[in-house]
Amino acid sequence: VVVWPNDLDHVTAVIKYAAERQIAVVPFGAGSGVCGGAVPVRGGIALDLKRLASLRIDVPGRVAEAGAGLNGQRLEELLNAQGATLGHFPSSIYCSTVGGWLAARSAGQYSSKYGKIEDMVLALEAVDGTGEVLHTLDGPSAGPDLTQLLVGSEGTLGVITSARLRIWPKPTEQWLRGIKFPSVHAGMRALRAVMRAGLRPTVARLYDPLDTILAGKSGGAAMTVPQPLKWVVEGAQNEALRVALRAPVLLNRLVEALPAASLLILGFDGDSEDDCAEEGEAALALCEAEEGEDLGPAPGEKWLANRYKISYRQSPLYSAGAFVDTMEVATTWDRLETLYDAVRRAVCSHAFVLAHFSHAYLEGCSIYFTFIGLAGKPSEEVARGSREDAEQDLEEAESRYDACWKAAMNAVADVGATLSHHHGVGLSKQIMLPREHGEGMRQLRALKKAFDPKGILNPGKLLL
Amino acid sequence: VNERLRDDLAACGAAVVDEAPGYRVTPPSIASLGRAVAVVRAWKVPLRVRGSGDQPVRAPENGVLIDLASLDRIASVDGATGIARVEAGCSLSALEAAARRASCTLGPLLPSVRAGSVGAWLAGPTRGERGVPGSRRETAALSVAAVLADGRLAESRAAPRSATGPDLDHLSLGGNGRLSVVAAAWVRLFPVAPALASSWRCPNLVTAVAALERLCCDRIAPARARIVAQGDGTRMVAAWEGPETAPMERDRAVRTLAAMGCTVESDPGAGEWVRAPASGHPVEVDARWASLRGWSQFGEMQTIGMHAGGAFAVLALPEARGAEECAALARAAGARVIAPRRMRDPGPHWDAMGAGAVWKRLIEALGVEEGAP
Repeated sequence: VVVWPNDLDHVTAVIKYAAERQIAVVPFGAGSGVCGGAVPVRGGIALDLKRLASLRIDVPGRVAEAGAGLNGQRLEELLNAQGATLGHFPSSIYCSTVGGWLAARSAGQYSSKYGKIEDMVLALEAVDGTGEVLHTLDGPSAGPDLTQLLVGSEGTLGVITSARLRIWPKPTEQWLRGIKFPSVHAGMRALRAVMRAGLRPTVARLYDPLDTILAGKSGGAAMTVPQPLKWVVEGAQNEALRVALRAPVLLNRLVEALPAASLLILGFDGDSEDDCAEEGEAALALCEAEEGEDLGPAPGEKWLANRYKISYRQSPLYSAGAFVDTMEVATTWDRLETLYDAVRRAVCSHAFVLAHFSHAYLEGCSIYFTFIGLAGKPSEEVARGSREDAEQDLEEAESRYDACWKAAMNAVADVGATLSHHHGVGLSKQIMLPREHGEGMRQLRALKKAFDPKGILNPGKLLL
Repeated sequence: VNERLRDDLAACGAAVVDEAPGYRVTPPSIASLGRAVAVVRAWKVPLRVRGSGDQPVRAPENGVLIDLASLDRIASVDGATGIARVEAGCSLSALEAAARRASCTLGPLLPSVRAGSVGAWLAGPTRGERGVPGSRRETAALSVAAVLADGRLAESRAAPRSATGPDLDHLSLGGNGRLSVVAAAWVRLFPVAPALASSWRCPNLVTAVAALERLCCDRIAPARARIVAQGDGTRMVAAWEGPETAPMERDRAVRTLAAMGCTVESDPGAGEWVRAPASGHPVEVDARWASLRGWSQFGEMQTIGMHAGGAFAVLALPEARGAEECAALARAAGARVIAPRRMRDPGPHWDAMGAGAVWKRLIEALGVEEGAP
């Protein structure tokens, strides 16, 4: 059953009703999650929160109070109309909501400056599994931080109904550059130097060699993409693509034989062109110390113009019988190279791997891996065959996909990195939670008992 | 005093001392700490932890005081990454000294925090928070290793951010050792950089505080600031510490504050003055900017951990007026007093957020004691 509550009272009424009858309630924002967090695996009520779309903006107070169902792009447009910004620009901004961001600890493309959503939230309104309304405090309070225990709980501890968020004046100026490094490792060192220097770039995205070739095709770092790799990244020729994906090890080795150049997109924003340039030039000097070569603004401008398009370009690959998936993990600077190498090594026999480093902090960084592997037969071939053939094809495809994920996640856990930086856990990563949290799983279960004693909120997620 | 409890505690490998009306236990290792906590929880006697957010000097009646003083090892300091692995009983002064040797620092901290241990900082009322570039505040704990009620150790991944469910470290941070006992942590460090300070003359304290708030809202928060009401106006000094950003941010601050009626002054001693201890009998608070603007027009204020919403502040009154009066004035302005400890405001706690029942169920589920932290 899908329920659309109009207000907080409706949400509490639904949860109390469900708690009395032991019916599962799965909060739903816009369904953009890629890990299956909003899939109602035990049936029950899908609580679609889109009607909770209120917004109150206090520009002088630098605060916005937004309903959980408010669409991300709509929120940003309304803030922009008043000269403000949240600074949160996830790739899913057109099809995600404030509540979804908070439930999964979302990160946007400008996180190196503005932080992740957990850094932006000041207070929450949420309904626990008994129907009680919780209002966390924006300001000094005692004891553990209730807000940070609810953020990231993926609907298992409470239904977030609204949030108080920190907003900022919308910057008027931007400084963007592409910087080419002789290797991805030199780029990592430069990125660390920039962050450790206290600089806060709006954009800091380092692409590994293949991603660099893709990003640089019309951005100043012109390089030629070898044909087998072109088949993979463009997905245009089905049979050729499938041939290439049958040998992922060879494909990955082909990438290693390419020029090792890595592209860093670096950007600063502010209210004065001079201020942006001052920070940008300081960052550039740190990059030059790692043999970074300034490519000018073109690569950055190209990235800016296309920054939301990548998610919508994968359909041809799916139709051709490939799977494409992404894994965003994070660790400290001292383990970053090890993590990058370990995941590539673990996955190279299962799928073609590319990566970029897109959320940098004082102590570390996230890595966003993209896997492209052989799933099954092309969709038109499946449609022509028998049902049994289709089922067997699907089974084999799932098996290959699962093997790829398992190898990748084990490599992450072995390095001691975290399994998710901003996609959440959902269904796809929860099997690894005991390795991530260890004895902390018992803390997680205790939280579940405390917030949702009847176990009705999004059951089957976070292993709860 | 229960002899069998004493025997059980001694079997944990910890030093046990009769400290009527209870026992004081000093575990020499994290494993021993785990065993001691499990014994106390199994006996269901009151537990207090010295060096884990709380600094009680006596054992609770018929209970146990666990002293973390022997857990003082600094396992590693990685200056390039800016992290240190340290046990909870380590003093912050020792950690700061080790960090300095690796060209790092913990950054500005409240005096009461700096005088304590890592565990007391993380589990105490500030939750280990400090200001970070960009006018935000975040905890210094990259990862916490916490002892649960049955003595097992839960430790989160040391990553700058994670999205693997709720942040379980927040069951320890600010928890006063009630939900779990902080045993060790990965602590975030800043690179050491010379501070750049500037001095301003402001019409009054309200304007000076508003000036600091404006800097935070413009994302150029100083690392520390000091405001003192003087006969001919109010003196404000602010200092920035980012290796590359300090000169940029200070120059921008000078431009910004000129429009607020604050006049920059030549003051070669500003860097020293801003770090000088507060006079009189100060109190430490966590406050919103509105509360700080409401502080005595004749008082003194030092701020750190500044963000767009507020700051940690050391508040003092002239003429050696008592800390009690200071605390009363701070509360009247809406600030939360966090030190001296005897004056610490106990709330607002979860019940003020509608989560009183959640708290009760949580301590039951975790197998720990009743009562607010």
